[in-house]
Amino acid sequence: MLRFILRRLASGVVLIVVISTIAFALLYVGGGDIARRILGQTATAETVAQKTQQLGLNRPLYEQFVDWVSHAVVGDFGTSWFTGQEVIQAISSRVAVTLSLVIGATLISAIVAVLLGVWAARQRGWPDRLVQIISVLGFAIPGFLIALGLVIVFAINLGWFKPTGFVQFATSPSGWLSSITLPVIALAIGGIAGVAQQIRGSVIDALRQDYVRTLRSRGLSANRVIYKHVLRNAGGPALAVLAVQFVGLLGGAVIVEQVFAIPGLGQVAVTATNQGDIPLVMGLVVVTAVIVVVVNLVIDILQGFLNPKVRLS
Amino acid sequence: MPLPDPQLTPALEERAARVSLFRKLLKNPVGLIALIFLGLLVLSAIFAPLLAPADPNTASLQDVLASPGAAHPLGADSAGRDVLSRLLFATRFSLAGALLALVVAAVIGVIAGLIAGYFGKWFDSVSSWLAGLLMALPGIVVLLAARAVLGPSMWLSMAIFGVLLSPAFFRLVYASVSAVRNELYVDAARVAGLSDARIISRHILTVVRAPVIIQAAMIAGIAIAIQAGLDFLGLGDMSVPSWGSMLNDAFAKIYTNPDLMIWPASAIALTCIALTLLANVMRDELERTAGPVKRRKNRNRAAEAPVVKAAHLSTVGMATISEEERRLALEQPAASEPGEIVHPVVVHPDPEDGGRSSTGNPFGEELLSVRNLAVGYDQPDGSIKVVVNDVSLRVRRGEVHGLIGESGSGKTQTAWSVLRLLPDGGRVIDGSISFEGKDLAHATEKEMTKLRGAKIAYIPQEPMSNLDASFTIGSQLVEPMRVVLGLSKAEATKRALGLLERVGIPNPQRTFDAYPHEVSGGMAQRVLIAGAISCDPDLLIADEPTTALDVTVQAEVLSLLRELQAELNMGVILVTHNFGVVADLCDRVSVMRAGRIVETGPVRSIFAAPEHEYTKALFAAILEEGEARGELVVAQTEKEGLR
Amino acid sequence: MHPKETTMFRWKRLAAVAAVVALGLTGCSAASGDGGNSAGTLTIGQILQPSTFAAAQSNWANESPYMQAVYDTLLTADTKGELQPGLATKWEYNDDKTQLTLTLRDDVKFTDGTALDAEAVAKNLVRFRDGAGPNASYLVDMTDAVATDAKTVTITMKASNPALLTYLSQNAGLVEAPSAFDSADIQTVPVGSGPYTLDTAATVVGTSYVFDKNPDYWNPENQHYDKIVMNVYADPTALLNAIKGGQVNAANTLNNNDVAQMEASGFTANPLELNWAGLTLMDRNGTVDPALANVKVRQAINYAFDKDAMLKTVESGFGTVTTQVFPERSAAYDKSLDSEYDYNPAKAKELLAEAGYANGVTIQMPSSPLLGTATFTLIQQQLADVGITVEYTEPGNNFISDILTPKYPVVYIPLQQGGDWELIQFLISPTATFNPYHTSDDTVNGYIATVQNGTEEEAAKAAKDLNKYLVDNAWFAPWYRPQSTYVTDANTTAVVQPGNAVPYLWNIKPKA
Repeated sequence: MLRFILRRLASGVVLIVVISTIAFALLYVGGGDIARRILGQTATAETVAQKTQQLGLNRPLYEQFVDWVSHAVVGDFGTSWFTGQEVIQAISSRVAVTLSLVIGATLISAIVAVLLGVWAARQRGWPDRLVQIISVLGFAIPGFLIALGLVIVFAINLGWFKPTGFVQFATSPSGWLSSITLPVIALAIGGIAGVAQQIRGSVIDALRQDYVRTLRSRGLSANRVIYKHVLRNAGGPALAVLAVQFVGLLGGAVIVEQVFAIPGLGQVAVTATNQGDIPLVMGLVVVTAVIVVVVNLVIDILQGFLNPKVRLS
Repeated sequence: MPLPDPQLTPALEERAARVSLFRKLLKNPVGLIALIFLGLLVLSAIFAPLLAPADPNTASLQDVLASPGAAHPLGADSAGRDVLSRLLFATRFSLAGALLALVVAAVIGVIAGLIAGYFGKWFDSVSSWLAGLLMALPGIVVLLAARAVLGPSMWLSMAIFGVLLSPAFFRLVYASVSAVRNELYVDAARVAGLSDARIISRHILTVVRAPVIIQAAMIAGIAIAIQAGLDFLGLGDMSVPSWGSMLNDAFAKIYTNPDLMIWPASAIALTCIALTLLANVMRDELERTAGPVKRRKNRNRAAEAPVVKAAHLSTVGMATISEEERRLALEQPAASEPGEIVHPVVVHPDPEDGGRSSTGNPFGEELLSVRNLAVGYDQPDGSIKVVVNDVSLRVRRGEVHGLIGESGSGKTQTAWSVLRLLPDGGRVIDGSISFEGKDLAHATEKEMTKLRGAKIAYIPQEPMSNLDASFTIGSQLVEPMRVVLGLSKAEATKRALGLLERVGIPNPQRTFDAYPHEVSGGMAQRVLIAGAISCDPDLLIADEPTTALDVTVQAEVLSLLRELQAELNMGVILVTHNFGVVADLCDRVSVMRAGRIVETGPVRSIFAAPEHEYTKALFAAILEEGEARGELVVAQTEKEGLR
Repeated sequence: MHPKETTMFRWKRLAAVAAVVALGLTGCSAASGDGGNSAGTLTIGQILQPSTFAAAQSNWANESPYMQAVYDTLLTADTKGELQPGLATKWEYNDDKTQLTLTLRDDVKFTDGTALDAEAVAKNLVRFRDGAGPNASYLVDMTDAVATDAKTVTITMKASNPALLTYLSQNAGLVEAPSAFDSADIQTVPVGSGPYTLDTAATVVGTSYVFDKNPDYWNPENQHYDKIVMNVYADPTALLNAIKGGQVNAANTLNNNDVAQMEASGFTANPLELNWAGLTLMDRNGTVDPALANVKVRQAINYAFDKDAMLKTVESGFGTVTTQVFPERSAAYDKSLDSEYDYNPAKAKELLAEAGYANGVTIQMPSSPLLGTATFTLIQQQLADVGITVEYTEPGNNFISDILTPKYPVVYIPLQQGGDWELIQFLISPTATFNPYHTSDDTVNGYIATVQNGTEEEAAKAAKDLNKYLVDNAWFAPWYRPQSTYVTDANTTAVVQPGNAVPYLWNIKPKA
């Protein structure tokens, strides 16, 4: 197991290196006149040239990359060109916000998807179709429309939640809960679709297994067999979907954080990408890649926990 | 995704994938509607220049936000362009863009998946790693950067998106191909000297085609949704009309002209829904075709596939009975299905004293009495397929009642209906099952749950698949005892260890802690027996408990069963196709064929003087092959019926 | 010439989303405000984050409230745009306006306790000129700034700059404590002398900025609140939601689609005409497109646009049709010029024929979906109607960079109308940023020289003549001045600042 983890970690490191190299190249090659973008249309050509010089953007690309890497390996991602904040600080102050959104949404979508998926798999017939259609709708309606609908109904018309903003957990736990409820739901709705379908399929497969009948013949109720045994066996494929889901939700957080004005990674990613804030975008790329690698590792370990054959081999 | 059965010939699979899937799609109302919608969409995209009343890009300040009318059937947009024309051309470009993404993703993913899955080696690890890389790349950064470098072309964005999506195909194809790579028929093809290219195209491609088609429908939906998303983020391509750009334009005017949003929004939503539903219907249809096949694969050693075989029973019956039997049967009023033939049951009388068990004790009270049982399966068309008909049998305490018959004769269905654990769609449609005076045929699920384990227990046929691979053997023994007997964890553990010892497991603690895949088949069957008797049942239903085991182990397990039966004085229903087992263990036997009991009575009496033609045929088969495993003519016919 | 345009450019597209909310809210009553200033807190909705708090690299316009909270400027401007004392109580030019002497207050301290003296001011001016900030060019003509004594600063100039005093009331006049110059946190932790201090603990950079009242401020009259929170709403939907939910007291807006919804929520719209929208006909030399060197072609382009219809279509009718790049408040403005190019496609065709382009002209233009796709389609259509074919290229992120490189003869981009000299330096002079082909016309240069060096009357006349010359010679093809709207809730008032995207901070007050 330890060797397995180490191997996955090593491949994760290679992944991060490759991704950051590609991202760096794309950003700089596609960046165009970066100093002009920083200064806007009002600056004169002289000022732009001066800024280019100041940021070292007139150096060869490989030199800039070596420079970036040599700082990045010690955790120094430089300073944002557009806010002057240290990249590492900008990210660390926001990563918890986004993770609490995404983890919350993953959990909610997993729970709801399990209930829906099991229901559809057991009932088949019209509940099955209904779940399918709900899933498809959740998938086909753009996330921002869902988010807006929630704000209009629950925040503005009913006034149950604040329409925008975020409260730190440390400041007020209840305020925190109220500030992330709508965003988490908005994020989760789109995600339920895929997982529910996956759970449905896995449960249908698992229900056909012989051991289900045997366990029930021993006096275990259908619910107990499904929620303890069937789900655990359906869990492997579902977890794989959840991992993909998690990465997808990181992307979904971009739009949701915009709509709710939540200071998370997604919000800063949109701004930074739009502005071409390369140090910040590079920091975000690396952090996202690290999160993805870690999540996949955790999922692999969980897979091992769920499936003793994997664990022991 | 059901894995295809390697035992099927590729040709069969091909036929199933191509002809029958498409035909089934047309028969399925949801599939038909989705197909019609997508067909119309494609047609309107192709004939857009003929259908559109105006040029989709011609703006007009005079017509800005014009209401629907003669000049503009659906009105005009914020630049005075004709909405209907734009919608038609947008369909063209949106579909083409999605198709491009799909083709790129499929070509890269399928080819790489085939090569990696089939040849493996370094290409395997490199491409798997690349797939992981693509999935971890932040798509938005890639698209933004690519757009900045290469320009805002929708075609380029969609092609790049196709590359980003290719892992979806890659993983699917890779998994399917590596699963069949070492299957016998592929080996056989290789030995026969077929080139790799030929094997891939003839044998492997056919395996992955159906799942790839399903995946393609999903991917097309995603591509369309993403295209709209790109437009929404302002990353669209202004030079071509698309649903996303129309939606985009409509957003700005939604307050004053909300109807502008209806068309592109419904086009996107309906297309996504149609594609997803189509994929789901295709998957469901494939499941329906492949499901039973899969079951057969699981049980290929025992060659018993209750659902499928049951489904073909009536045909089988028809094919094998003589004209005279048919005439006779038609005179029988008991027939539950028109045209079905009913044979008189040959009943051997009980001995005067009611019979004695092998230990010489008289049998106890009547535990189970099944009368005129009929079991049927609901069919999609609303009819019921009858698989067990007019079966009556009884079991007394201490008595072992054998149910013998070939595969698909309904013996397992009878056993399961006593437990009320029939597969999906199956139910008791007639008759009664009386257990200790209670009618199980009409008991609630809650009442049944109380009875199972505590009063009626079950030993399955295939030891490995009947243990949950995710839990230790111990926990699977302990859980029912805690639920049924209300024992504490410690008590249940102690009892489980005792049981394991009792069923002859040399190191109970080690087996207790082991996972199912860590023990042998014989051990596993002993574990299942221990599980069945763990809550002191009165009636034990053993469904071919030794069939899946090696011959030497079979004898041991049988003698264990005999000992336990005597020790606990249980009534037993023993389902088997082996007359040796019947002779060894049973007090009474009922011979089943095509869902009915044809001959029943004390074992001694039937062995001495079999009367029914079928029973005689079974005995003849033993004499020839030593065991009744050989498939009779009937079974042969039946298999052909399946195909 | 302030980041307002950048902002609009970047976010206008997203503004459309807000309309969805608008629809959903039709008919529902306004939410009661809960972000009121009972505790003496003002919450402002900002559409941009501050790019930096370092005075030397600072922006203005939409970022001016951040800067005005923590810094003082040497001069200030009132709501008519007239210059008023700030840190400097007196300012005096020499005769040829190449030397400016500022007399400073002596009672001002930075929040780190050090005194704000002439030395600090001089250092700030030099740093601004050399800091490569977006507006560093404001002081490009300054040869030096010297503290002649503790309360006197002398600025020497290469040439007179009529806008210098205005610049000193904006970001060029911000004064930061010299003790912060070497700080590693200079971009995020400002040390100034302003009415408020940044609460860095409560601030989330890029999202929410919290300012506390500076108890030792020299001019308490400008402190209307105990606390000011500036929340950044990058997304117009979020901004509208915040307004609907009563989470802000005052906010700038991104477009006019939402104004009705905001008013329905009990907010007051404070209108201001800030920009002009239309085409900049840059290639007057005919460098990349010889047709544009011909004044008749440029005039034809002016005649080709139905400006009223464009205003109605693109800006929901909020704004005023014009043919001039100078604002209404400017001395150069002449109302009669606004009817010079009334919509006349026949005349446009005639002019093209006279210019020798009877068979039509093809023009290359850059496009950007961020500026609204309908506008580009309409431009194409209007010009096609008179025989001019427009071919678009989309440069993506390099939109501005490619315009100024320069790659295109004509561009559509709304630009701000600043003071006369600012506008000349930005749009008209041979070295102006938005004169990338460096069109140099003796008549124009003559007027510019008079504006720069003449007396006030001479300058005003020259500006007026310049404006007429530009309109007659069709240097631009303006359509209208779109309205910008600043909204305030029932408890708050604001007076808009001419030429600035948002009101000056001290003009946002609790309603009496």
